[in-house]
Amino acid sequence: MNDFIQLIVSGTATGTIYALAGLGFTLLWQASGTINFAQGEFVMLPAFIMLFCMMAGAPLWLAFLLTCAFAMLVLGAGFKKVIVDPLIHHGVIPLVIATLGVAMVLKTVVRAGYSAEAQQFPSSFPAGQFSLAGITISYADVGTLILAAAIVIALQVFVTRTMTGRAMQAVAQNTDAARTLGIDAKRMVLYTFLINAILATVTALLITPTYLAKFDMGESIGLKAFFAAIIGGFNQTRGALLGGVLIGILENLVGFYWSPAYKEGVALMLFLVVILWRPEGLLGTAEERKV
Amino acid sequence: MSDASFLEVRDVRKHYGAIKAVDGVSFAVGPGEIIGVIGPNGSGKTTLFNAILGQIRPTSGSVRFRGDDVTGMSPLELSRRGVGRTFQTLQVFGQLPVRDNLIVAAQEFQGTLPGRLFAAPDAGLGERADEMIELFRLQHVARLPAGRLSYGQQKLIDIAMAFMAKPRLVLLDEPCAGVNPSLVDQLRELLVTLNKTQGGSFVVIEHNMDFIMRLCPHVICMVEGKVLAEGKPADVQANPAVLEAYLGN
Repeated sequence: MNDFIQLIVSGTATGTIYALAGLGFTLLWQASGTINFAQGEFVMLPAFIMLFCMMAGAPLWLAFLLTCAFAMLVLGAGFKKVIVDPLIHHGVIPLVIATLGVAMVLKTVVRAGYSAEAQQFPSSFPAGQFSLAGITISYADVGTLILAAAIVIALQVFVTRTMTGRAMQAVAQNTDAARTLGIDAKRMVLYTFLINAILATVTALLITPTYLAKFDMGESIGLKAFFAAIIGGFNQTRGALLGGVLIGILENLVGFYWSPAYKEGVALMLFLVVILWRPEGLLGTAEERKV
Repeated sequence: MSDASFLEVRDVRKHYGAIKAVDGVSFAVGPGEIIGVIGPNGSGKTTLFNAILGQIRPTSGSVRFRGDDVTGMSPLELSRRGVGRTFQTLQVFGQLPVRDNLIVAAQEFQGTLPGRLFAAPDAGLGERADEMIELFRLQHVARLPAGRLSYGQQKLIDIAMAFMAKPRLVLLDEPCAGVNPSLVDQLRELLVTLNKTQGGSFVVIEHNMDFIMRLCPHVICMVEGKVLAEGKPADVQANPAVLEAYLGN
């Protein structure tokens, strides 16, 4: 029983990291109809930028802040301006192809410009474990869980309880009507891209100590984040949280009780089951689409 | 019509190749006036609205609002100048509660950008939203997501949203479309009340003749992109050309 609870706790911690990246998928989709298949590489690049800053002598917290600024500029505003804005009027497919291209470019640049080898990355939390009622829990799991949960809650509060968040929701739900009401839709969409860049950087901070910084680390994270968003419901921000946590917990349980060999296939299996049983996702709502 | 025109539409045309959706329409709206626009389907009424409100750019002609040339100006800019509109189809934000729908309809006119980022959740508009909720008799559903309500209730929210920011001019596109007949009278009374209390000017497109004849002292009838007749409701209604346009020979 203790093993089971430990697996649930650590799976939840890992799942909230998937959820952070998955939230980016849902936010971009809702605000601008963008599906960003470079989301995993948007996590990988900040990991290397943080490593670069730390090599230059910056402590982890400063490297994180500098990387946040870089990510907002390049992966937020730059990505929107250079890739999304010119292509968004041509439909989803050109944008999907473009983001796949961005993913390849980022991987190649990091592999050629930095290293193809996996790099160690320091944890933001103290090493070690503690026992609680006979259950051993690592400080890293608790720290990850608290930080990721705080960010998800803060984001939820921002979106639902502030004027700007409400305007972002309005733009996501009906852009034309929002514009008619005086809401600057372009600015709200930009905010979404900036938030996504920050979420990707936080995801990098939390997951890289485990995954190690490697040019292809984004493939697995990006895929799981995408599955998390679909499983939870692509049009619900809280859906990504549910999807991410479900994947994290099931990966742990399958890996422990069945075989670690099947761990990587859990997200795909769960995705297939949900998409067949409930295509709109566990918390999602069916949407009408103009064709 | 008043000489001191709030809105002056002069020889506006919108052509799509050989199709003349709007073909030289001119009219003016004075302060506090309510003007009705009628016409059979496809007569160019909504295209005219879209051209006035910057949703599309007119092929030629001009639109002046309070003396300024606003031709082709974006809906965002027009909204900031005090021009509101409703659409034929519902434009409520279905996942937001009714009260939030009303607040979001006016919040962009509150404060500066940094202020808006960290302002109180109701943006100081809670009292105004509650007033509108009471006026539109939506108290019992104020906290529910708008998307869960009936079509008629959502239509009322849609209209209430257009008036939240106390606009100087509101263009209403078929406010009665899809509304239960029992609500139509309530809607007309609401518009009369808003006109008296807020003093804005309204332009109303509508197919419900009884509604428009009782609401609007001045009516324009459009056919095939042109103004066929205008004047007092009874005169327009009795105009043989208007009857022919609606009923045929």
